[in-house]
Amino acid sequence: MKTEGSEVILSINNVSKSFPGVKALDEVSIDVQRGTVHGIVGENGAGKSTLMKILSGVYQKDSGTVVFDGKQIEHTTPYQSMQSGLAIIYQELNLVNTMSVGENIFLGRFREMKGMKGTHAKARELLDSIACKVSTTKLVSELSVSEKQMVEIAKALSFKSKLIIMDEPSSSLTSEEMCQLVKIINQLKEQGISIIYISHKLDEIFEFCDIVSVMRDGHVIDTKEKSAFTRQELITKMVGRTIENEYPPRPLCVGDTLMEVHSINTHKLHDLSFTLNKGEILGLMGLVGAGRTEIVRALFGADKVRGHRVLIEGKPTVIRNPKDAKDAGFGFIPEDRKLQGLILPFSVESNISMASIRKFSRLGFLRKSLEKDIGARQVKALAVKTPSTKTAVRNLSGGNQQKCIVGRWMETSPRIFIMDEPTKGIDVGAKYEIYNLMKHIVEHGGAIILISSELPEVLNMSNRVLTIFEGRITGEFDPQKASVNEIMGAALGIVEGCV
Amino acid sequence: MQKRNSVLKVTASMLRDYLVLVMIALLVAVTAIVEPKFMSGANLVNIMRQFGPLIMVSLGMTFVIIGGFIDLSVAGTINLVAVVTISLIQPLGQVPALLVGLLIGAVCGALNSGVILSSGALTQAEALFLTFGMSTVYSALALLYSHGSTMHFWDIQKSKSIFEAIGAGRAGPLPLSFVIFLVILALLWIFQTKTTEGRAISLTGGNKTAAHLSGVNISRAIVVVYTICGFMAGVGAIVLFSRITTAAPVIGAGYETNAILSVVVGGTTLKGGKGSVLRTVMGVLLVILMSNCLDLLGVSTYLQVVVKGAILVVAIWLDNRKQA
Amino acid sequence: MNGKAIGSSLYAIVTKQKAFIAILVMLIGMLFSHTNFYSAYNLLDMLNSTSILLILAFGVTMTVVAGGCDLSIGGILVVSGIIAIKLLDVMPMGLAILIAVLFGAVVGFVNGFLVVHQRTEPFIITLGMGLLLTGVAQQLTDAHPVPAKNPAFMMIGNGDILGVPNLVLIMAVCFGLCFWLMRYTQFGRNLYAIGGDYEVALYSGINVVRTKWIAFVLCGTSAALAGVLLSSKLNTGSSIYGEMTALVVNCGVVVGGTSFAGGIGGIPQSALGLLVFGMLDNVMNMLCITSYYQVMLKGIVIVAIIWLDCFTQKRKREFV
Repeated sequence: MKTEGSEVILSINNVSKSFPGVKALDEVSIDVQRGTVHGIVGENGAGKSTLMKILSGVYQKDSGTVVFDGKQIEHTTPYQSMQSGLAIIYQELNLVNTMSVGENIFLGRFREMKGMKGTHAKARELLDSIACKVSTTKLVSELSVSEKQMVEIAKALSFKSKLIIMDEPSSSLTSEEMCQLVKIINQLKEQGISIIYISHKLDEIFEFCDIVSVMRDGHVIDTKEKSAFTRQELITKMVGRTIENEYPPRPLCVGDTLMEVHSINTHKLHDLSFTLNKGEILGLMGLVGAGRTEIVRALFGADKVRGHRVLIEGKPTVIRNPKDAKDAGFGFIPEDRKLQGLILPFSVESNISMASIRKFSRLGFLRKSLEKDIGARQVKALAVKTPSTKTAVRNLSGGNQQKCIVGRWMETSPRIFIMDEPTKGIDVGAKYEIYNLMKHIVEHGGAIILISSELPEVLNMSNRVLTIFEGRITGEFDPQKASVNEIMGAALGIVEGCV
Repeated sequence: MQKRNSVLKVTASMLRDYLVLVMIALLVAVTAIVEPKFMSGANLVNIMRQFGPLIMVSLGMTFVIIGGFIDLSVAGTINLVAVVTISLIQPLGQVPALLVGLLIGAVCGALNSGVILSSGALTQAEALFLTFGMSTVYSALALLYSHGSTMHFWDIQKSKSIFEAIGAGRAGPLPLSFVIFLVILALLWIFQTKTTEGRAISLTGGNKTAAHLSGVNISRAIVVVYTICGFMAGVGAIVLFSRITTAAPVIGAGYETNAILSVVVGGTTLKGGKGSVLRTVMGVLLVILMSNCLDLLGVSTYLQVVVKGAILVVAIWLDNRKQA
Repeated sequence: MNGKAIGSSLYAIVTKQKAFIAILVMLIGMLFSHTNFYSAYNLLDMLNSTSILLILAFGVTMTVVAGGCDLSIGGILVVSGIIAIKLLDVMPMGLAILIAVLFGAVVGFVNGFLVVHQRTEPFIITLGMGLLLTGVAQQLTDAHPVPAKNPAFMMIGNGDILGVPNLVLIMAVCFGLCFWLMRYTQFGRNLYAIGGDYEVALYSGINVVRTKWIAFVLCGTSAALAGVLLSSKLNTGSSIYGEMTALVVNCGVVVGGTSFAGGIGGIPQSALGLLVFGMLDNVMNMLCITSYYQVMLKGIVIVAIIWLDCFTQKRKREFV
């Protein structure tokens, strides 16, 4: 069922969407042709995911129109959009872990499939059509990430989808699995199915997209045929400003060894040893699930990990729990701000003061005036935008919430500051302020371990980068000298890196 | 327009926050009009006396709920403490008996926290079932210890003046048990709002993971809240059997739900983190006033249970809506 | 090393097959006791006296699989039993039973409104509902047992067909019905999806609110049916029967392998879980253990089981 390449399957016209404090999408317009792979690139926070959630009916748009397959779509639910032939494969996969593969593909359509037998038979057919060999009776919780993705694709096909949106599908795939995905994408294209492929990896975009749109700060900057873009042009359009504007000058104040870590071993981590120097920002690079977070959690005593040795300034230090870590001079910004970092209904002040209770208490009694000072001091120092220190931290924007956590640890004057995705989901301005803070910390003798999924962030802020792949350190790089490809290669486990 | 809206909003949230005060005022007004006896000195003293056991248990429960957990074992603890304490007055004398009773309460509470910590239970639901099981064990111990029989004050030959004073004595115009309550309330209020451990408890209840990752000792907070709860259940047991001068091994039945009821009605949220012992006092006051009022109106005790159940359901429902 | 591997696989078996192992231990233990535990009469009697708990458990399983919980079943049990007996005096038996069972459905509907529609945490609010219903039962009976005067009513709970007690038969029918509902219908599969991942179920076009709500209604209905059968069996309605029932049944469901996290478990598992408690009662009676020790043992068993359930999840969390 080949059709003319010029036919438009999806037309997005002037769609806008605001969240409290942020304009996520501003007058976005994109046309997607039938039977093409349409790439959408942009940095985190550019509005790609918001746009997709509007298309799939998770969010409702504020204004603008969306025409899909000749019909205007308005206030749909995710299910309605799937039925109309528009399927989306999310970054965070959308499967029920406790159910079987077959049932997941036909979730909520048990009757339609005439029972369990029909469900599994049809599911088998679909999986076979994309050359996926996973048993349909296996539980989804037992699948690997790429297998889950195949199941999602099968689910999308089960709706006879005309358009499939893939939201950063490659972020956790190995290169082999990626080849498989490319094959399937080409196969779908031949069947006349359109694909919107969202990514921030330029290699993939240049490999198999036909048309590319660049998004930045809620706008579509440009839409062109792939061949009309040069790589440099694409990067410039994505970033929109020169690198110097986005990151403060790299701090250069690396001193002597501050901490040595010897042989962390867990089920996921294998004999990890590294050092951290005074005044250094050490970047940890790797795929999601490579073990980056596990390393710092083990270091901080957040998980029960035994057997490794930590020397701080040459002295052996035992860290059994976060309290020991705090006493040893660690600070910690956890990966998930809302679940692990903040107490949302509590005030800004108590969220800031909670790591330094000892500082404002005497003989076990609180001295609230001192606590008030601490709150006010950090709010001022970090320029937290809040009506008052008594405001519930829930009411603040993401960036200001993150600053509260930074402030909490600044108050303890940490020597070793662990930051796990410190700029996730916060706006550009707040990001820059956090970068400046990092600079401030290392310039005053502290050291930072930085984990980030954003490659430019790691490359521009770190003095040294360690690449992690499947729980092992696969390389150590100087980001000022090494090429991006070298570092990415080591992070993807392709080549062993060296300084 | 915007401003008026926000004023309205603030008033509405204040009203919802202090709904319990409004209800207390309404209840007092209505009952005083319908039944003039209500405002008599004798009835007021009676109300103060009724504060006795329930307020003690509820104050302890407040800490567990602020800490983000729940304790169904107070009924079992009360049973055990009551029968053991009363039986020890004869052989040991009253002061050691009193101390042993309080100790047993605290140990029961600490044991609960031990079970919870060792199992790694993090949710209220898990704590609910674990403490229910512990309650059954404590109750069974009480039954075994007392052979299921009720013990009476008049069987005790030795001096039991302390217990008689707690049960019926007066300090000036106030019942002695009410004075004890005021002292304990003051201590617990200071503990909750002015000490580091009190802060650690509310941080734990607010978000266990975040508190843990900020170096707060959440295990200690859990031990402390359950030990306080067990200890206060012990105090409640002593106040209870002193007042009724007998102790049966089933004396504590229903106290767990009544205590939860008082805490939630007072406005301490079941989601943990936020709440106050003072709010619990208001909650207990409301529960007592209500049963006092229903008594005066001649409503059967059974129907009162229905009313209490209904209030509990509505209070939890409102608490949930407030948080959402 | 090998020993360690065996140890960990043994641990996995114990945590997954708790109920089965407990039953096995009791069965083997009773081989050495000189009682007539292994008589057909006793085994059937055990099944008979567990039937009511099982019927309760089937309903509860639906709510727990969907990620909820119902602790008001004890209250529904006693109130519906009392309603049935009271109505027997004024109307035909069938109608009286129907009204009693409908009462349970209504309570389930209210629970569903609070828990599903209003998204309230189910545990404590259904506990409160149980308290309310206990008050209703006391008010209806003045806290005294009410005897039934209709011998036909008594036969429901005490009669038998070809030697198989009626209760066991009714339980078997309920088992079959619930099993079919959970395993082979869209409704049942949707419950699993909702309990497994609420958001995903919602995004997949499942009417999550209605489906979960129905589970609560069915749970209330089955609890009311159990209540009617209980008062028929004892030929009285009383407000005291349900005291521990709700928590024991919910624990039994967890023993069987249905987790409060939702999405896993099922009717056969819950049946096995409740059978542990039924058998424990029977064994303790056989061994002439006094009632106080029985209460204590039950408490210890509940703590041990829930402890193990929590501990397994802790191990999973800490597996890094």
